[in-house]
Amino acid sequence: MNLSTRVMLNRLTQQCAYKRIVTFSTKTAEHVIENQKEQKKEAPPTTPTPPVNRKPIIPANYRFVYPEFLPDPNVEWRNLVREKLERLDMLDRRKQIDLPEFYVGSVLAVTSSDPHAAGKTSRFVGICINRDRCGLRARFILRNVIDHQGMEVVYELYDPTILKIEVLRLEKRLDDSLFYLRDALPEYSTFDENMEAESLEEGAPVPVNDIKVVLRPRPWLERWERQNLRGVANIDEYLKDKHRLSSAKVQKPWEKYDMMKDYRSSIPEEEQTEIFAEVHTELHALELQRKRNKRKRTFIKPKQLA
Amino acid sequence: MMRSVINQFLGLRLSGNCSVLVTQVRDKGHLSRPRLRNPQWFLRKEITKYNDLMTAENKQFVNEVGTNNFGVPAVIKDSLVKTEAPTANEAVWTPNLRRCGVIARKIGQYPLWLKNGERIRTTLLQIADNHVIKYIPPEEYLPAQVPKVANLHKRGCILVGSETTNPALLTKEYAGIFRNSGVLPKKNLARFIVSPEAQLAPGTPLTVNHFRIGDFVDVRGKTVDHGFQGVVKRHGFKGMPASHGVTKTHRRAGNIGGGGEKGRVWPGTKMPGHMGNRWRIIKGLRVWRINTKYNVMWVQGSSVAGPTGGLVYIYDTILPFRKNKEAPPFPTFYGEPQQDGDDLWYEQLHNFKSESITYENE
Amino acid sequence: MALRILKTVRQVAQPLAVALGGQQTQQLIHTTPACCEIRKLARLRVVDNSDLGKKAMAEGRPPRCIHVYNKRGVGLIGDKVLVAIKGQMKKGILVGLKQKQKPKQPKFDSNNLVLIDDNGSPLGTRIHVPIPTILRTILKEKTLAKGADYTKVLAIASRYV
Repeated sequence: MNLSTRVMLNRLTQQCAYKRIVTFSTKTAEHVIENQKEQKKEAPPTTPTPPVNRKPIIPANYRFVYPEFLPDPNVEWRNLVREKLERLDMLDRRKQIDLPEFYVGSVLAVTSSDPHAAGKTSRFVGICINRDRCGLRARFILRNVIDHQGMEVVYELYDPTILKIEVLRLEKRLDDSLFYLRDALPEYSTFDENMEAESLEEGAPVPVNDIKVVLRPRPWLERWERQNLRGVANIDEYLKDKHRLSSAKVQKPWEKYDMMKDYRSSIPEEEQTEIFAEVHTELHALELQRKRNKRKRTFIKPKQLA
Repeated sequence: MMRSVINQFLGLRLSGNCSVLVTQVRDKGHLSRPRLRNPQWFLRKEITKYNDLMTAENKQFVNEVGTNNFGVPAVIKDSLVKTEAPTANEAVWTPNLRRCGVIARKIGQYPLWLKNGERIRTTLLQIADNHVIKYIPPEEYLPAQVPKVANLHKRGCILVGSETTNPALLTKEYAGIFRNSGVLPKKNLARFIVSPEAQLAPGTPLTVNHFRIGDFVDVRGKTVDHGFQGVVKRHGFKGMPASHGVTKTHRRAGNIGGGGEKGRVWPGTKMPGHMGNRWRIIKGLRVWRINTKYNVMWVQGSSVAGPTGGLVYIYDTILPFRKNKEAPPFPTFYGEPQQDGDDLWYEQLHNFKSESITYENE
Repeated sequence: MALRILKTVRQVAQPLAVALGGQQTQQLIHTTPACCEIRKLARLRVVDNSDLGKKAMAEGRPPRCIHVYNKRGVGLIGDKVLVAIKGQMKKGILVGLKQKQKPKQPKFDSNNLVLIDDNGSPLGTRIHVPIPTILRTILKEKTLAKGADYTKVLAIASRYV
């Protein structure tokens, strides 16, 4: 194989890999990273790929920051007019309340108005263990251990009774959902209610926390050994041969090559650009507004002492 | 029919022997089988497509013209044929009068919230490009299949079309229905039985303003077609155990009746069969919100029959306690819809443009 | 439901070390898939500081629900249940459930119970886990409807979520 064909092949694979987008994953697909690494290794001195002239207006991370703006990929539920109306409603809500960027693994504090509480508001702090659903249905689950009692609360992102969402610690974890925290030792899901918000430098990438949690012994709520979890430390201790065998049986290693499945479970890139082009200006304005507010908040006028 | 001919033939032959032979006819399906008779305005719709031997350029040109003029009509466009404005009917509404309905498409569902913080599920119905095609007065309206409507002989019929389409794809006869209406041929047609006072002139556009927020509507649609299904899916039977000696009867119905005096299958017994693809009317749904720009209305619940993108027909409700108490736009809404772009929200509904919901201390 | 058959008295003091040592301390027989609903024979966790409850929990013999006082037979939050605890029958109120809850209602990792007597006053003096705020509304409504005063349970709560 001569050099030019190799370069071409590489470029082709890269293009193909870029087209395959998983809607709800918060990380860049592994094969993309691998491809990039290979390319770096294999063909450093040849002609560099021509730089893209046109700078994309829409930031590439929008599909991770605002995943709920992408509709459900199920063809039977798609309708362009409905999606547009839904997005308009979402933007209207976002103008009323600051819905910040957060990921599975981030620590959030949600203040919502509650008719049953004494002060008519309630605040819950916890780690986000899952994000799902699209559009106005988008929701997330917070988990915390308070007074040695584990508890979870489901919040809908666009629920108008939510008064404030604060991100106390912005980070990602190794997995797309952290339901295994239910079977982990309680210290892994314990967060102080009076936690101070940790600030992140502007423009810095969101850090990935590679902490490995320690699971309790069986019985578990789910068969975690079948889910290829990366954020679990001691799963092998509790596995017998029969568990390993049965888990090997249900593995589907060919699915990562199934392009049709990928296509069905994701929104194509062109459509994503179209959708985000529609909402980009307003989202960008909201982001700027948020930044301005933050700066205002950081400057605290010193109190005059008598 | 074949059976009756054979019976007669047998009867003739046997009569020569002077003995009486009774042939039992156990099924009477041949007597009351429903025959599909098309409505009186029905004509074949689509033309047979021949290979026109057109050049590629010509074909492209024709397609371009077609899509430019008859592309997917999300919003009512100005009709190409300009007719004089349809005359407004001056009749006064009374509670017993029946208004015209509209044709809509179910375009999806999403949640809305009430002002007390409660979440409700709503279905979005888009009234795409509706025009009145024809009014048939009561004396001329003689349907082949008589609909179940009280005092039919006192009621007229309005033919409504929705979604303008490319006439080049239609037969001459079908396109002829639209000749005197002043609108271009439509993809979908429906008839609505109305009081003569509620008649509408051909060419009248029907928009979402035909209904008001807070009104109740009945929505008729065809349910999702599931095909031939067993009792577990069709009627929610439990099936039988997976093990403990059960063989070959895991998803079957089991017993279908007793013996003795009642030793037969009773009518209405739940059995396997075709599921879905039936007309169903969901009654008394509240209109929560209206968007006049896209002609969309949000109605209560997620039980409107049919798939997303399916056709549904919307009527004023017939439920006695939810019927219109005050006069609706009668016979329909005439005039320009308001163009400020904001939706109309029912008063109990939380508008996303207003502030978050808070509760007061008592 | 899972039946735990304890083979040795030395139980999971250090579960990790035990598991690493390969010593089998407990055997699990799963009879049915896990059912988070509170029906008859569901085991509950007493979360108040009543003597009876504390002893039962410390012995590892948690109370069992033997009746649910509603028409559905499945206990929801704020429902009164009858439990068998240390050979006695006591009534209690469910103050936290493992089941899926509506948005904004907390879902707990255990099924929590507060023991009460027939008048609705609790046997303990403190609840040592958070309880959901919706209980305030539910128990107030029940107090009006049923006659017994359940709001005393709210008074001993340490914290609301």
